[in-house]
Amino acid sequence: MDYYLQQLAIGLSLGMVYALMAIGFTLIFGVLNVVNFAHGEVYTIGAFAGLVVITAFAPPLFVVLLIVVAVGALAGVGLERIAFKPFRRFSDEASLKSRAMREATLMSSLAVSIIVREAIEIGFGSQFQTVPLDRLLNKPISLGPVTIVSGDVIIFVVAALMLGGLQYVLKRTNVGLSIRAVSSNPLGAKYVGINTDRTIIWTFAVGSMMGAAAGILVGLYYGAIFPSMGFIPGIKAFVAMVMGGLSSIPGAVICALILGFSESIATIFVPSVWADMVAYGFLIVTLIFFPRGIFGGARDRV
Amino acid sequence: MDRRNLLIGAGLAALVASGGMAFAQQPVVKLGYQLPLTGNTAQYGQDFKNAAEIALAKFNSSGKPFKVEIIFEDSRSDAKEGIAIARKFVDNKEIVGVLGDFTSGVSMASAQVYKSAGMPQLSQTASHPDYAKISEWQFRNITTQAQEGPYNANWMLERGFKKIAVIAEQTDWGQTVVSNFADEVKAKGGEIVFSEFFNRGLADFRPIITKIAREKPDAIYTGFFYEDGAQFLKQMKQLGVDIPVYSTSAAYNQKLIELAGADAEGMHLTATFLPSNPAPHVQEFVAAWKEKTGQAEPGQFPAQAYDAVNIMLAAVEKAWPEPTRQKVRDALAATKDFPGVTGDTTFDANREPAKKLTKAVVKNGQFVAVTD
Repeated sequence: MDYYLQQLAIGLSLGMVYALMAIGFTLIFGVLNVVNFAHGEVYTIGAFAGLVVITAFAPPLFVVLLIVVAVGALAGVGLERIAFKPFRRFSDEASLKSRAMREATLMSSLAVSIIVREAIEIGFGSQFQTVPLDRLLNKPISLGPVTIVSGDVIIFVVAALMLGGLQYVLKRTNVGLSIRAVSSNPLGAKYVGINTDRTIIWTFAVGSMMGAAAGILVGLYYGAIFPSMGFIPGIKAFVAMVMGGLSSIPGAVICALILGFSESIATIFVPSVWADMVAYGFLIVTLIFFPRGIFGGARDRV
Repeated sequence: MDRRNLLIGAGLAALVASGGMAFAQQPVVKLGYQLPLTGNTAQYGQDFKNAAEIALAKFNSSGKPFKVEIIFEDSRSDAKEGIAIARKFVDNKEIVGVLGDFTSGVSMASAQVYKSAGMPQLSQTASHPDYAKISEWQFRNITTQAQEGPYNANWMLERGFKKIAVIAEQTDWGQTVVSNFADEVKAKGGEIVFSEFFNRGLADFRPIITKIAREKPDAIYTGFFYEDGAQFLKQMKQLGVDIPVYSTSAAYNQKLIELAGADAEGMHLTATFLPSNPAPHVQEFVAAWKEKTGQAEPGQFPAQAYDAVNIMLAAVEKAWPEPTRQKVRDALAATKDFPGVTGDTTFDANREPAKKLTKAVVKNGQFVAVTD
C-alpha cells in the first residue's frame, strides 16, 4: 500500500512540473492559435538566468524568482518581436485571415529556438551545469509513509498562484478582457478598437514570465540545468495542451496532472522505458474520442 | 574565447612552421580525429580534443624526425556526419590513421568506410562488443563490459551481496552492461531480483527507485553515465533509500561528485584511471590537463583519449619512415605493454585491449582506490 501511495505522490509532483510549463504555453497558443516552439527555450533561459544570479549574488529564492521573471518577460517580448511580429506587418483583411501567414510563425519560432539553444551551448557548454547543492529544492519531507521534497511544496504553491492569478487577470481585468477578445476573434477585436499588437506582446510577456519561472524552479528541483532541458517538458506541455482542448488553461493543468500520474503509475506495471508511451497513448485516445480535447467543448477560449 | 585562442594558436603554429622551414624541411604526418564538438555530447568531444592536443604537443616537442598534425572533424555524434567525415579522411591521401568516434553507433557506422578503404581506426570509447569485430582495421582503447561485467559481479558477490537489482540505460551499451553482469551473477549462484532499462536523460528516477526499493535487494548495479548517475543518486537520497550502489567505469567522472555532492558518498565503481595515482606519467597528464582546461582533474574518458592518441603516435613512429596506412595498422596491432595513464595496453588478436581494473569508492568527495 505504501508503495502505491509513494508512486501516486511522485506522479502528482511530476504532473505539477508539467503543469507549470503548460500554463504559459497554453496562454500563448490561446491567443495566437499557433504553437510557440520557442517556449522551451524561454524555460531554459529562465533556468540559466537564475543559475547565473545564484552563483553571482546568492540572493534568496524569492529574489531569484523575481529576476528570472523579469528576464523571462524580456525574452518573451524579444521573441515576439523577432519571430512573430514580422508576420503581422500586413494589416489587410486577406493577410489577417491567412492561415499561411500565421503558421509561418511555427517555422520562425522553431528557428529562434534552435539559435537560442545553440547559443547557450556555445556559451555554457552542453553538459549539466553545476548548481550549488544547498540551493537545490530537494530536502526530503516525510508525510507518514510517503516522502516528498521541499520543491514539491514550492512548485505546488507557484503553480496554484499562476493558475489563480491568470484566471483573475483574464476574467476580471481589462487586459484580460482584450486578451480573451483577441483570442476568440483577432479581426473582430481589431475592428472594435482593441490594440491587438499590444495585447499580443502582453500575452508573450506574461506567458514567458511563467515559462522562465518554471525553468528555474524545475532546474533547482532536479538540479539539472543544461541547454536542451526545455525540449522534453515542452513536448509534455504540448501533449497536455492538446488533451486539454488546445486553449483551456485549467484543462491543460488537469491533463498535465493526468500525464504525471499515468507516467508514475505506468512504471508500477511496465518498465519505465514504456512510461512515455502510456502518456502518448492517452493523447491518441483523447484525439480519437474527444477531437476537441477533454475540456475543449465550451466556446470561450483561454 | 576558444575560437580566438585557436586563431592565435593557428597563427603561432604557422609562424613556427615557417620558421622551421627556414632551418630544415620537417616532414608532417597527418592523422584524423572524428568526435562530437557540438550537439548534446559536445562536452565529451571537447574533452577528447583537449586531451589529444596535450598528447600531440608533447610528441611534437620531443625532437622526433617528423611532426604530426591532427585534423579534427565534428561528427555531432550523428552517424550520417560520421560517415561523411570518414569519406573525407579516406580521400585525404596524407592521412595515415584515424581516431574516434565517441559513441559505439557512430564509430561502427564510420568503421564500414574505413574497412573498405583500409584505414586504421582507433576509438577511445566505442565499447560495443561488435565494434572491433568489424574488420582488422578497428581498434579500441576501452575495456568492454565483457571484462567489466564479470569483474564487478565477482566483486559484489565476494562482498556478500546475493540479491542484486540491475538498471542500465536503454542503449546498445546498456544492454551489454546488464547481460554480461547478470550472466556471471547467475553462474556464481547470485540472484538478479530486478532488471530494468531507462531512457538516457530521464529527469525523474523516483518511480524506478521506489520500484527497486520494494524488491529489497542487497545492492544495486547500475549502467549509467555521470549525469544520469548524479540524478539517480540524489533521488535515492531524497526518497531515503539506503542500498549500496555499484557502477561501471562509465560513471567515473569528477563531475558526478560535483553534481551529486554528499549523495554520491559510498558509491562503488571500477576504473582504469585514477587521477590520484602517484605514477609520474599520470601526474604529468593531470597537471597538463589542469593547466590547459582550467578544470578539475580529468575523468576517465579524456584519459582514454590521451592514451589512444599516444598509442597512435607510437604506431606512426614505428611505421616511420614512409608511414602508410597498412604499416600504421600493423604497428598498432603489435602494441604491447604500452605504458599509458589508463594502465598498460596490449592489443590481443581481436584488437581488444586488456587493462587492469581498479576498484574505487567515493569517499569525502574523491574517488579513492579500495582493495575489497
